[in-house]
Amino acid sequence: MEVSLWIEWVIKSLFIILLLTGGFAYTTLYERRVLARMQVRIGPNRAGPFGLLQPVADGIKLIFKEELIPEKADKLIFILAPVITVIPALIITAVVPWGESVWVFGREIKLYLADLDVGVLYLMAVTSISVYGITLAGWSSNNKYATLGGLRATAQMISYELAMGFAMLGPVLMAGSMRMIDIVNAQRSMWFILPQAIAFLIYLATSLAEINRAPFDMPEAEQELTAGYHTEYSGMKFALFFMAEYIKMIAISMIGSSLFLGGYHWPLPAHWLGGFAGPINLFGKTVIWMFFIIWVRATLPRIRYDKLMQLGWKVLFPLALLNVAVTAAVIVLVGG
Amino acid sequence: MTTSWIETQLTEYLLERFGEAVQPDSRPGYLGFLVARNKLLEVCRSLRDEFGFDYLSSVTGVDYHPEPFMEVVYHFYKSTGGSALVMKTQAPRDNPTVPSLCSLYPGADFQEREAWDLLGIRFEGHPDLRRILMWEGFAGHPLRKDWREPFFEEDAKPFKSRWPEGHFIRVEDNNPYKNNVSYPPDFDPGKWVPDKDELLYGGLQSFEEDSEIKTERIVVNLGPQHPSTHGVFRMVVLLEGERVVDLKPVMGYLHRNHEKIGERNTYLQNMPFTDRLDYICSMSNNFGYALAVEKLMGIQPPERAEYIRVMMAELTRFLNHMFSIGFLLNDLGAFFTPSLYAIEERELILDIFEEVAGSRMMCNYFRFGGVARDVPEQVLDKIKTLVHDRLPRKLDEFERYLTHNEILRSRCEGVGVLTPEQAIALSVAGPVLRASGVPYDVRRADPYSIYERLEFDVAYGIHGDIYDRYLVRIEEMRQSLRILRQVLKDIPNGPVMAGKPQFQVRVPPGEAYGRVEGPKGELGFYVVSNGKPNPWRYHVRAPSFINLTSLKTMAHGAKVADLVAILGSIDIVLGEVDR
Repeated sequence: MEVSLWIEWVIKSLFIILLLTGGFAYTTLYERRVLARMQVRIGPNRAGPFGLLQPVADGIKLIFKEELIPEKADKLIFILAPVITVIPALIITAVVPWGESVWVFGREIKLYLADLDVGVLYLMAVTSISVYGITLAGWSSNNKYATLGGLRATAQMISYELAMGFAMLGPVLMAGSMRMIDIVNAQRSMWFILPQAIAFLIYLATSLAEINRAPFDMPEAEQELTAGYHTEYSGMKFALFFMAEYIKMIAISMIGSSLFLGGYHWPLPAHWLGGFAGPINLFGKTVIWMFFIIWVRATLPRIRYDKLMQLGWKVLFPLALLNVAVTAAVIVLVGG
Repeated sequence: MTTSWIETQLTEYLLERFGEAVQPDSRPGYLGFLVARNKLLEVCRSLRDEFGFDYLSSVTGVDYHPEPFMEVVYHFYKSTGGSALVMKTQAPRDNPTVPSLCSLYPGADFQEREAWDLLGIRFEGHPDLRRILMWEGFAGHPLRKDWREPFFEEDAKPFKSRWPEGHFIRVEDNNPYKNNVSYPPDFDPGKWVPDKDELLYGGLQSFEEDSEIKTERIVVNLGPQHPSTHGVFRMVVLLEGERVVDLKPVMGYLHRNHEKIGERNTYLQNMPFTDRLDYICSMSNNFGYALAVEKLMGIQPPERAEYIRVMMAELTRFLNHMFSIGFLLNDLGAFFTPSLYAIEERELILDIFEEVAGSRMMCNYFRFGGVARDVPEQVLDKIKTLVHDRLPRKLDEFERYLTHNEILRSRCEGVGVLTPEQAIALSVAGPVLRASGVPYDVRRADPYSIYERLEFDVAYGIHGDIYDRYLVRIEEMRQSLRILRQVLKDIPNGPVMAGKPQFQVRVPPGEAYGRVEGPKGELGFYVVSNGKPNPWRYHVRAPSFINLTSLKTMAHGAKVADLVAILGSIDIVLGEVDR
């Protein structure tokens, strides 16, 4: 029993990692196709049917590219930085449940990897780590653009994390638990997007900032800082930053769907299809959420750095704080 | 009538007050006054302050080689409109030194540097007289008539080696591998140590300001390889945090000495060559050059040709503004969507150019005394559909999406402000000048072609910031459509060429300055003829180049992100800046 449980965990972990890395590849394709359609173009459609082999071609290209390390870079940190960035992105989704349980080979398998009592806290903690990778990448490159990008990233992520944390507290208060499963199950009757609309909007905005997506893509602002913190990176190391960004995009969409959009519940009842309806629900919501993120990128210009900080500290943060206070008060008064 | 009265009065006044120092230029075909060098500043000050010639449009030099002097030519205008006042000053050829006008007209800055770089005329009192298009250390001044490039063949085209016998020499044959450089006699490449650009960087730390937090300033080179410099343009920026403290533009990476080549070419050979200046709007470039040479030749294109010219120029304006707004948004970080929407419309206009001129971008469509080909009836119908239906619709769509966008407004309003006084003093032209609240449009201020009969308004802004520049461009597109509608309604039938088309035009000796309101600003061509088949001097007053003079003023105190947007709002094309 013990051994089989271990094997189950290992298989599930591998499955998640492979799913995320594969998902990363196809997210890039998804993004390029959607962007192209929005920009009156066609997008990549040559490699394989509908361009489905494009990510493979890109991957091969990136692996075989020359890896350049600047002469005056801090080599150890320079190599370590992409790793520090990508690992938190990979482990972030461990606490997100995809469904209740399924029966495979006569065995009931729970559709989540870890059932932490402090799931939301884990999310916050892990997302904070990746900022180190970006800062270190910017600093170790010994390049002015990279340094500026890294500094911007640090300031931006730290200031937006607070508001994001408070936004996540809304659903936590409503569910009365920090376990992700409890939060998802508490949304059986009503999604938290309705009572927590403000928290939802704040989460939407801050999560875009957290993963450095437009219109908050300050750290890598192409038009200003060439490529920001990853200016000096090439080949697979560059791909790792890219990977971290896109995996975080998936993760943010999954977490957001679980916190506010009812997770694996609805539209299909989660126990249908032998329990596989749950993952399908979550997948659908994630894809729609990601479509929204891409849509925003195709639409909006970038906010200026100082305005971004103002927005974070002077608008979103107090609003999130107020939301938490009001939610807590209402829960105590009504539910208490 | 009043202008001529003022001019007579001005002449009398100048002659009376400065006596011998100011002489009317009496050479046949020449205009304006010859001013003695030592009185130049005094004369210019009185021109600016007493007669209102506050806009210095063009500064350039002419080398009259066998004769022992060089000439600096100034074209002054009033910012309220009217024709030019031409001033010239002569300096001995072996040591040409002329007082700099930078203190009176800061807009002379880059133009004087260019004259120093290419002609070797020293401007005394210029704050930063460095080379601007060539690199420091370049041997000689290429626009001097006795300067010869490696593998020099002849002074004028067509070269005898290629015509009339039809032989030609490939420059590669002249240029065997590893043997293709010639060094000046006192230069040894083995011992050369690259200088650290001290002239460039050394001038930077000049701003001293009180600030509470003492932080280290860093120098960042934005460019020459950078995604937002619209080509190979480099800005050396001194930053304090993210704030720009000082800035120096460095250009010339695309320099090919357009003017020297232009002086070698025959008059007509220059027509396709002007296409390459601002390669987005070749039609306007053709227009300016054709005007200058027509002034010299004293010919007038037939009516239908004038209408076609205006039609093409306004279509060009529309496509250029579309393009520039699209890429301004790109600079603001909108990921290519607006620019691709803009490019879609541009392609439709380029389709028309292709049908009319045979080429989409390098149109080479204008001729002296007309245009190359007539516009067929079905193309006119196509333009009508565009002008009456598609383009206004798309322009409305653009406005609906962009004009009131929160992020766009917060990024653009109050950023990169240029006051009207600064704009005039810095010789800024085009939408940048008008956005600063100076309604100066060459089409109205000094009308050419048939613009006098057309009904349109000069778009202008109030605040002089990026947002007003954007609004001015939008409004100018609307006015262009208005002009196009009138032109399409009234276009007469008839010939499109005055006289017979000819390869070799006869241009009487003299000088002429032809200017048009190009999409980027006042585009001027200063041509000097000595009666030979090739122009003696061919100078381009490039609006993007001179508009860059204002970049430092606008960028002072801005953030890095603003800097990119400011550059985008000037709307430069490096083909024109570097020439």
